[in-house]
Amino acid sequence: MSPSTSSEAVEDQKLRPFFCELDVLSRPDGSAIVSQGDTTAIAGVYGPIEAKPNKTYIEKAAIEAIYRPKSGLPCVPDRMSESTLQHTFEAAILTTAHPRTLITISIQEMQDSGGLLACAINAGCLAIMNSGLPMRFLVAAVNCMIHENGDIILDPDEKQLKESCAVMTFAFDNVNKNIVSSSTDGSFSETQYQEAILKCRSACDEIFQLYRDIVKKYAPSMG
Amino acid sequence: MPSDNRRIQGPEVSSPYCLFQSGNKNVDVHSGRSEVLSSRKDSRKFMEHRKIYLKTGVVSQAKGSAYVEFDNTKVICSVFDPREIPNRIEYSQHGELFCVFKFAPFSCLTRRAHQQDAQEKELSLCLKRALEPAVCRHEFPNFQVDIYVMVLENDGGSLAAAITCAGLALADAHVPMYDLVTAASLGVTGDKLLMDPVEEEESLCQNPNKENQNHGLITVALMGAHTQVTQMWQTGSMTAACVSDALTHLVQICEETYPIAQRCLVKSVVDTISKKAQ
Amino acid sequence: MAAQYKSIHPVKYYRDFLAQDVRPDGRTPDKTRTVTVNANSISTSDGSATVRIGNTTVICGIKAELGKPKADEPESGFVVPNVELPPLCSPCFRPGPPSEEAQVMTCFVAKATSGMVDLKQLGISLDNLAWVLHIDMICLDYDGCVQDACVIALSTALRTVKLPKVDYDEDTKTPTVHLNQRTSVDVKSSPVSTSFAVFDEEIILSDPTAEEESLSSARLTVVTDGKSIFSVHKPGGSTLTEVQLQDCISIAKERANLVNEMIRVAVGSVKR
Repeated sequence: MSPSTSSEAVEDQKLRPFFCELDVLSRPDGSAIVSQGDTTAIAGVYGPIEAKPNKTYIEKAAIEAIYRPKSGLPCVPDRMSESTLQHTFEAAILTTAHPRTLITISIQEMQDSGGLLACAINAGCLAIMNSGLPMRFLVAAVNCMIHENGDIILDPDEKQLKESCAVMTFAFDNVNKNIVSSSTDGSFSETQYQEAILKCRSACDEIFQLYRDIVKKYAPSMG
Repeated sequence: MPSDNRRIQGPEVSSPYCLFQSGNKNVDVHSGRSEVLSSRKDSRKFMEHRKIYLKTGVVSQAKGSAYVEFDNTKVICSVFDPREIPNRIEYSQHGELFCVFKFAPFSCLTRRAHQQDAQEKELSLCLKRALEPAVCRHEFPNFQVDIYVMVLENDGGSLAAAITCAGLALADAHVPMYDLVTAASLGVTGDKLLMDPVEEEESLCQNPNKENQNHGLITVALMGAHTQVTQMWQTGSMTAACVSDALTHLVQICEETYPIAQRCLVKSVVDTISKKAQ
Repeated sequence: MAAQYKSIHPVKYYRDFLAQDVRPDGRTPDKTRTVTVNANSISTSDGSATVRIGNTTVICGIKAELGKPKADEPESGFVVPNVELPPLCSPCFRPGPPSEEAQVMTCFVAKATSGMVDLKQLGISLDNLAWVLHIDMICLDYDGCVQDACVIALSTALRTVKLPKVDYDEDTKTPTVHLNQRTSVDVKSSPVSTSFAVFDEEIILSDPTAEEESLSSARLTVVTDGKSIFSVHKPGGSTLTEVQLQDCISIAKERANLVNEMIRVAVGSVKR
């Protein structure tokens, strides 16, 4: 594991420590394990591979995301994260480069101490980078919550989440820093929502910097 | 029972609250019977059918669709373009009808499961048999037409409503047919015949009575122009004379509903033409 | 001629229309379709509603049953919402277990409406008996924004629910139901969902039809009651700026007020 501590922390609020290791699995074409605080997810990318006839698109590659919970079979709420992951990666990957094929991104939850969806998106993005698939842009996801007293807390952990009245996850692209995904839980006002976006956007720079550090570190060994 | 992880699950056991109601209201079947013998609750005559409402073209995404109401019994049906019969190796001379009959979970007095149960499968088969003779199946060999029926509210006669509805939907989908199919049901208890029984009367007719008289339900589907019966479905036990008597009444009612269905189709054709002319 | 052009190159067909700032069905990009709400249409259910948004039709029926509460929440009842996309509503679906889309929609609707009922008011006897509200939303016509219709239908149906009074005898462990003493369920919030589709990565279409949804590069759903927001769900797809998001939120807020007024009238017109 490579500890990469953040140098440019956003004001008083910091993201939890971010650890990442690439190429952790031998079978997939690209893989990454990411932990943010205690939340950990591992991602593997297979592809481009042959697509099933009913999932073949003539002009682009089909993207399939598989999300596996820590224990048991995936149930209804997991399908929703799966669909968010699938559509997020579909936007990030340059699917037109591999028409009539299938790219599978498989994500396994290791531990959830808050912000699992954000962690899964980051792990998936790093795994895709590791696999060498052409991408339109990189995505970084940040989780935040609104405290009962109205404060916005970035990347909260399990303990802080107990006092939340809303939880939001945003994913941004690295080109224009626009919003790729937004997923929310609980109720909040429009201004709170805007504020949360601003905070998360500035935090996502930090994650992109971490991406850069990780790639820099692994680049010589991947030759 | 294996848990269904594709749906949100409630507690493992839950029961309808009607089972625990205070005061005994519906315990004695026989008192209900004597009530029915004198007059019907909705003040209909014994041989009178409920009011019928028909409408075609209700589902925009389907090739053809229809909606039928027999008062509180509400049924919707949609029919789709023929598609090749899946997983079939040998060539089939005749096209096939693929019927799925489903009760909505909230359509009956007690909650229905999401999966198709044995009764629904049986009714699907009945529906298919009732429609097959009316469709020119040689016109689309090796293809199947999908017919999906959903009962939104069941107050008796849902099979009859479904057959009428599916017949209209097939016509609305421009599937080549010899004739329209209309259907009606009749309940028998003792020497009384009840045309188009409501749910309460249906359950009454299905219970054998003390003297083991005639009892049961008959549903008949008829091609009106040819006066040919395409399907007759009978449950319970009754004498042959009673069956033939019931059949006469049912054929007569089916013939009465036939022009209503025809008018409904003519109206939909007129509407389409006038829309195009605009 | 137009029909052939549309089937050969649907994207270009739409582009030609949108260049004139109008959609093939005659709406401007930010215009939503007409909503009709009908409350209590099914008498066999304990509460029901039929909602139409343009062609899209969803029927919602609520069946109340009695069950044993969960051990960790002994005073709470259950709300079990499920969205069904039967093969009846569109040629895209086949019979069998719920498709992935139906599951995602179920989860979305469950999340968006989770704050509506306080589960504690559904408890009857501590650790023994509680109400289970089975809420089934069935799509009868799939023409885009089905999740919006589901949320509106659920919200309307919930307001028509009348639960009978139940006494629970602790000694004999049997409940007694008084069918003629009924109370309605206290509904705390009134979320309304509005969906958008992004066409060609820049034009935002409000309340898209099924066709527009399938041609879109991204989708967005905003759930609000006119004041607070309950969900802003954008599962990936092409990117949006904050200004675009803000526009969508204000359209959604305006529509929420309108639809909530409609629900109020529909529920008010129910006789019983």
